Amino acid sequence: MTVRSEPVLVWDGAIRLVHWLMVLLVPLLWWTAEEGHMDWHRRLGLAMFGLVLFRLLWGLFGSWTARFAPMVRRIGALPSHLARLRQRDSTPSFGHSPLAVLSVFALLLALATQVTTGLFSVDVDGLESGPLAIMVSFETGRQFAEVHEFNFNLLAVLILLHVAAIAIYRFVLRQKLVKPMVTGRRPRADFAGADLPDNRARPAAMIATAIFSLACVWALGNFG
Amino acid sequence: MKRHISQVTLSLLASVALLSACSQNEETNAVSETAGVTLANGMTVKEQIEARQGHLERIGKAFKTISDQLKAGSPDLAQIQAAAATVPKEASGMADWFPDGTGPESGVKTEALPVIWEQKADFGDKVAAMQDAAAKLDSTAQTGDMAAIAAAFQTTGGTCKACHDKYREDD
Repeated sequence: MTVRSEPVLVWDGAIRLVHWLMVLLVPLLWWTAEEGHMDWHRRLGLAMFGLVLFRLLWGLFGSWTARFAPMVRRIGALPSHLARLRQRDSTPSFGHSPLAVLSVFALLLALATQVTTGLFSVDVDGLESGPLAIMVSFETGRQFAEVHEFNFNLLAVLILLHVAAIAIYRFVLRQKLVKPMVTGRRPRADFAGADLPDNRARPAAMIATAIFSLACVWALGNFG
Repeated sequence: MKRHISQVTLSLLASVALLSACSQNEETNAVSETAGVTLANGMTVKEQIEARQGHLERIGKAFKTISDQLKAGSPDLAQIQAAAATVPKEASGMADWFPDGTGPESGVKTEALPVIWEQKADFGDKVAAMQDAAAKLDSTAQTGDMAAIAAAFQTTGGTCKACHDKYREDD
């Protein structure tokens, strides 16, 4: 008989909601741009802006695994983490592994670049533009659009690497990382021996961050 | 088994590198052959292509001004009128911007598709439709009726798109 281990919260609700909404929005944003549905691209782009902004603020005010400061401190353990991975020792990290920290920072940087450049982008005909494009010239808006297009490819490569890493964990290291991203929880026994930090999210911080992000989205949507 | 991860990563990176190398080749393969040939109007092929790109870019610039002002809370009518006036001016003679030999086969960087020269009549109709719409945009702008300007602007933009969807390379 297996002893059922008490589950422990790894990913708070806000992280999970933001993550899966991004998973939904990235392909939709790509498709609306590809098909020229620019009204929808702008609306969904603003929604993505809100998600990215929330996630960045949540890196300051969120639960322990969401916060950037503990993640940065993990980077120092990267060499020993890689050495252990090479020996197929995949003792789970509580939250992001040192390698995952780099991945998350790269993904967030690419996403932030994408939503920011989108705000100022102008299409080649001058007919379509982001909500803040009025602040820049046609030429500058075109440069923003060039970066917007190029950076999407970077983002796509990073997403590909991210998914590949999840697959490697699943099939090589025999760890299921998707389920905890859905339920937020893993058995406490997975982190046996580890001293876990208090990972609770503060509801007040969550509500304040969400309201602030929504207010920014609203302001951008009604700019001008 | 320790090679597993680095192998997957490496092959991923390699395929990305390969893909970008392929797309680069496509672009550089086209060798400029007839760029310097002089056309009946006295311009070289390269000059003609760059001249039409200049006109279209200035139209795009004017469109951005109009689009910005229409979106603004308090639109600047004078800016709209000035921009709307440049559109028919920049668009005049558009039918003559695409003489034979000024397509992508010239080796000059252009997004004009060869189908322009295969369907000259339809292309000409679409150019004329744009010029009509641009003239109406200009005259509507002078009335100062914002709702009518917005409608005329949308119609004009529609004529651009109608042509670009069919005759311009997707970027």
